[in-house]
Amino acid sequence: MKMSFEVTAKKLFGVKYERLARALFLELVVFWGLHTAGLQVQIAPAILYLMSGSFSAGVMWQALSSEDSRENLQNAFMLPFAGHSLILSYVTALGTYTLLTKTAGLLAVVWALGRWSWAEILGSVLCALAAIVIVFCLYPLRLGRTDAYAFYVRPEARRRTVKVHRRCSVWRYLFRYLMSHKNYLVNTAVMWGVACVLPVLFGQMEARFALPVGFAILSLNTPICILLSCDPALEQAVRFLPGQREAFCVPYCLFLFGCNLAADIVFLCSWQIQLGGICQLHALTAAAFALLSAAGSVLLEWYCPIRGWKIESDLWHHPRKYVVPAVMLLMAGAVSIFVG
Amino acid sequence: MGENILELQNLSAWYSEGKDVLSGFSLQLRPHEVVGLIGLNGAGKTTFLKTLSGLHEGFRCDSIRLNGRPASFRDKGFKLSRYTVFAEDNSFQYFTFREYLSYAAAAYKKELPDADRLVRGFHFEDYTGTLLKDLSTGNKKKAFLITAFALKPELLLLDEPVNGLDFQSTEYLYRLIAGYKDHGTVLFSSHILESITLTAGRVLVLEDGKVRRSFEGSQISAENIREALHDENEL
Repeated sequence: MKMSFEVTAKKLFGVKYERLARALFLELVVFWGLHTAGLQVQIAPAILYLMSGSFSAGVMWQALSSEDSRENLQNAFMLPFAGHSLILSYVTALGTYTLLTKTAGLLAVVWALGRWSWAEILGSVLCALAAIVIVFCLYPLRLGRTDAYAFYVRPEARRRTVKVHRRCSVWRYLFRYLMSHKNYLVNTAVMWGVACVLPVLFGQMEARFALPVGFAILSLNTPICILLSCDPALEQAVRFLPGQREAFCVPYCLFLFGCNLAADIVFLCSWQIQLGGICQLHALTAAAFALLSAAGSVLLEWYCPIRGWKIESDLWHHPRKYVVPAVMLLMAGAVSIFVG
Repeated sequence: MGENILELQNLSAWYSEGKDVLSGFSLQLRPHEVVGLIGLNGAGKTTFLKTLSGLHEGFRCDSIRLNGRPASFRDKGFKLSRYTVFAEDNSFQYFTFREYLSYAAAAYKKELPDADRLVRGFHFEDYTGTLLKDLSTGNKKKAFLITAFALKPELLLLDEPVNGLDFQSTEYLYRLIAGYKDHGTVLFSSHILESITLTAGRVLVLEDGKVRRSFEGSQISAENIREALHDENEL
């Protein structure tokens, strides 16, 4: 069991566990940085537990579902190991990875921003652990079975003949991509949900300041903004074929623009319904933010793709995802000052 | 004989600095020839083809000339003159074969080619409307091979083209490779001796990152190549 744990752990943490040491060091730096900055945000303990639990559960589910993780199991299942101990070590490695590199990052921020008792700190860790164990128990049940192979079973291979198009369209390609990845759709739906509630959260803030900040926040649609990073074969192909800056990057940018703009429109409609006062200039600002964030995401993907990731979850939580929203937030500040 | 289509002088390629996979590699490809590249595992065949395809970062080359003119592997002009079929390719999974062909033709600024003969030749008729992600490994390979032969680039690069193909398709591929001289030049790597002896007009044996031996015309035989590879293995 120790050996099979190490196989997965070394893949995730590095041969000498150097990635783990790096992640823990960064978390420590974030914690001390925020702690010494003296920023304080009051969060109810119940929210801390919920945040810690739901975040860990989401990351763990994502790690178990990742195509990459399943491929790792293929060889392991071929070897004459006992299924249950193999799975236990595999899930333990994934759980440790989730807890120490993902949940710990979130907790480092939250713990640094508030004053917590030891019981609350321990509670948040226990919630994360419990969430990981619950996901471990529930994951095989999605197939209505409980054996070890439920962790390996690949989605049923379906040979789908789609509507015949002799001409290609990158838009159609991206649309199919989005439709085939439920987690991408869920993420997009969540962004629309956020767009609906943002006017409530912004409360009495002035529109000239709050709207650009909202547009910046809504550009944080992670999965579709890392298309090339998470599909190395596609990245290889677009770098290999001639003329792909125009043929691929431009439609990709417009697709992201469409997705960002849709969220911005939901935000504007929600604002109009709840607070009113939306004018043409706000719509134009939304379009400008959507286009700029889309262009920024595509440029990052083209010139600075994320490489060397171990599982898809690394991509979803990579610090690079915050670059575009951070730039857009700065721009939001500049816009509100300029307009003001 | 006209000028060489491609000339490389002293190419080196590496994955980590100081550990060259290719070193002092020089090559001339003539127009309208079929060149087979053979070597043991790890000899650098795939690295070489990826470098030619502009996908490998760690390399330097004293001189790269395409049709007598200086070129770079990432130039648009260079890209337009070559197409590569990789040993494994999972790209554009949400295109069907027809859509991918149309996309690739547009990238190469060519009219949508008629690939029906190739589709029939590879027994691929039932899969042209299926998403590439839903195809088996062999059928995916066929999709990219059909695209390559339909586009008819001046320089066709094939990395292990036979892998994953069924018997009938393999035979058909041999005929296509051997007949490609009418359109341009093929450079392909293979571990299958038969694929080389049946199609290549020149064989390059890759060893320690450079071309150690080459065979041409009547010298090309399974025995000679086997002997060259045996020597290489013993070194």
